[in-house]
Amino acid sequence: MERGRLERAGRTTALAAAAAVALTGVAVWQLSGGAQRSPGAGVAQGDGYAALPHVSVQTSPGGCGTGWASGHPGLQVFDVTNSGVSPADVQLVEPRSGAVLGEVESLAPNRSRPLLVRLAAGSYAFRCLQQDTDAVTGPTVTVTGDGRGTPAVVPVTQQDLIPAALAYQHWVAGQLPALVTDVDALHSAVASGDLAGAKQRWLTAHLAYERLGAAYGAFGDVDGEINGPRSQATGFHGVGYGLWHQGSTTGLEPVAAKLLSDVQGLAAAWPKVQLDPAVLGVRAHEIVENAIEFELSGRTDYGSGSSLATVGANLDGTAEVLSLLRPLLTSRVPMPQIDAAMAAARAQLTADGSVPLGGLTQPQRERLNAVFGDLVEQLAPVAAVLDIRRTQ
Amino acid sequence: MKDLARRSVLAGALATGAAAALTGAAASARASSPSGESERGFHGVHQAGILTPKRKVAAFVSFDVTAADRAGLAELFATLTDRVRALTSGGVPEPLGISAPPADSGVLGPVPPGGALTALLAVGASLFDERFGLAGRKPARLAAMPDFPDDDLDPSVCHGDLLLQLEADDTDVLAYALRDLARHTRGGMQVRWRIDGFSSPPRPVGTPRNLMGFRDGTANPDTTDARLMDRLLWVGAGQGEPAWAANGSYLAVRLIRMLVEFWDRVGITEQERMFGRRKDSGAPLDGRTETDTPDFGSDPTGDVIPMDSHIRLANPRTPQSADQRLLRRGFNYDRGTDANGNLDMGLVFCAFQQDLERQFATVQRRLAGEPLVDYIRPFGGGYFFALPGVTDPNDRFARGLLT
Repeated sequence: MERGRLERAGRTTALAAAAAVALTGVAVWQLSGGAQRSPGAGVAQGDGYAALPHVSVQTSPGGCGTGWASGHPGLQVFDVTNSGVSPADVQLVEPRSGAVLGEVESLAPNRSRPLLVRLAAGSYAFRCLQQDTDAVTGPTVTVTGDGRGTPAVVPVTQQDLIPAALAYQHWVAGQLPALVTDVDALHSAVASGDLAGAKQRWLTAHLAYERLGAAYGAFGDVDGEINGPRSQATGFHGVGYGLWHQGSTTGLEPVAAKLLSDVQGLAAAWPKVQLDPAVLGVRAHEIVENAIEFELSGRTDYGSGSSLATVGANLDGTAEVLSLLRPLLTSRVPMPQIDAAMAAARAQLTADGSVPLGGLTQPQRERLNAVFGDLVEQLAPVAAVLDIRRTQ
Repeated sequence: MKDLARRSVLAGALATGAAAALTGAAASARASSPSGESERGFHGVHQAGILTPKRKVAAFVSFDVTAADRAGLAELFATLTDRVRALTSGGVPEPLGISAPPADSGVLGPVPPGGALTALLAVGASLFDERFGLAGRKPARLAAMPDFPDDDLDPSVCHGDLLLQLEADDTDVLAYALRDLARHTRGGMQVRWRIDGFSSPPRPVGTPRNLMGFRDGTANPDTTDARLMDRLLWVGAGQGEPAWAANGSYLAVRLIRMLVEFWDRVGITEQERMFGRRKDSGAPLDGRTETDTPDFGSDPTGDVIPMDSHIRLANPRTPQSADQRLLRRGFNYDRGTDANGNLDMGLVFCAFQQDLERQFATVQRRLAGEPLVDYIRPFGGGYFFALPGVTDPNDRFARGLLT
């Protein structure tokens, strides 16, 4: 299970890989004579924005934002061409704050891409980040006039996220001993044939694991062993399916023992894990995305009927991540709306109580879907603004 | 299934029973031509999607409101207004820079075309329960759709606080619009049921055919006749309705499965006598062409057009039945198979009118037990009230209702 968690954990890694591929591409461009094409000649108007004002600007080792002399307010397109010999990120910024209104990432040499933006009155400049080169900020252009503009957000760097990542790692470290104890108790109950006790302890231990939410990416493959689908016949769902379907603990001891050793291994290895700071922003919305996909759909209920409790534990994990990221988020996203959506989700779970999903009435189910649907919409900008960007 | 009873049709028996108005209901006028109204834009005294010509595909989506209170409901209507205005107008989605994921799905490309979508918003009786304090403002003739004698209603596909009727000429436009609307309203409303439909092209000319192979909508009232629309369609002064409801219209939606395999095993004469029209030309059984008006007066005992034929029961064309006519605007649906391996296809019957009781319900009761009921199964739908139009950029859906 948790397919999304593993795949998406690699999201920022993929960006880095794309940049690497683009770098390799430089040689190809030069060989093909691509770099000799006159800059701007290939500016494509086939972007569909034909009705909007277009301005052609260049990024090259010698200049950034060349071609933009006078600004005008409103919706417009900058056709950004990379006249350099290596890939470049190009950002349209407010020079005073460094806030970014729009960007073109990993632009290949001698290629042009449109940057759509709405400009309000203010001062703007292009910032060009040619690969392996210091950032260059072009001339400032002043725009006068009326109307709102595209929201500008101060980008987050890897450095900015390190404190939150360390704090998160510390928080998880504090949770793991209790998880090991809970799983040990589950194993003991299974080994002694105590079905009722095993069911109870399964719930406790499973919720302790689900509460860690944000950790899945860092846990790597062992997460699949611990909390993967029943077809693997391992982990929580392997034990849970047996407990709730066969009505005895027969044959489950080896599965519980493997679960215990996996969890112990996790706890032992955790101090050496290097958590990728980039993952934290993605986790802030993905925990709830996964809760909707796997828990609120009933897909991972193998008889325990504890989907809503699991979602509650996932909310705990989300709340922890948000609390660690809050200093970075308050100036970048509307936190009051996110807090309200978190509170509404919590209140709905409390109101519904610990019933199996199938026990909800249609109005209850609709309200549950509404608050969680709203929550993921509110959380979506968190990952967007915490995407790591170069600024220097 | 009354599969033996259907034989009585051949005997011309005066059966009474139930069905939906699958065909035939009123005067012999045509919907206005596709030019003009389809590109009329979002703002208007009446909503688009009533007098505008049917587009090729449609989605009927019923929602329950999940907003917590009256303020939340007002916010929902404001959001729906903004989004429907944007979706019907087209244009470049607002750039959000690095502040959020893209503003739209991109399914229609970087610049979604204007005029590609026709959207209509209607409210159901349940919106006027105790939740939002609107009980005193309910349109006078709005109630939950009753269970008619031959209905087999599934509660999970009936009723709803709101109904969106989305129409387009391409399915991707519907998918785009629905994704956008849901994305902006997740906290405020949730889908209760949904059904998609399509309108067929003329085969080969004339009014499009339903999935029984008969033309459907031949006898619709003339939508270009404004005075007639005032008598049959629009809510207005002097009707005992709340003032805010003026220029709205009542909407009956009926999800009607057609037992097409069974139907295809029925002889052509029997099929035509059930409808009262020729299958090939759509002409009434006493006429030559589709637009000929049936002359029931010259056939008082139903020797040519049986007394229990669909067109005769639905619209007897008497002075008394003149104000019972309604504007049918249905779409065919086709959605897979059932456990028997039979095709699940039929009609999303959709009719606008001024008074549900005087028009749809009266016609429906007259159709009760018609021979056609053995080949159809009404299983869902609801009664709704299509809100008055949003008149200008400062107006919004239900402004009068909520202020």
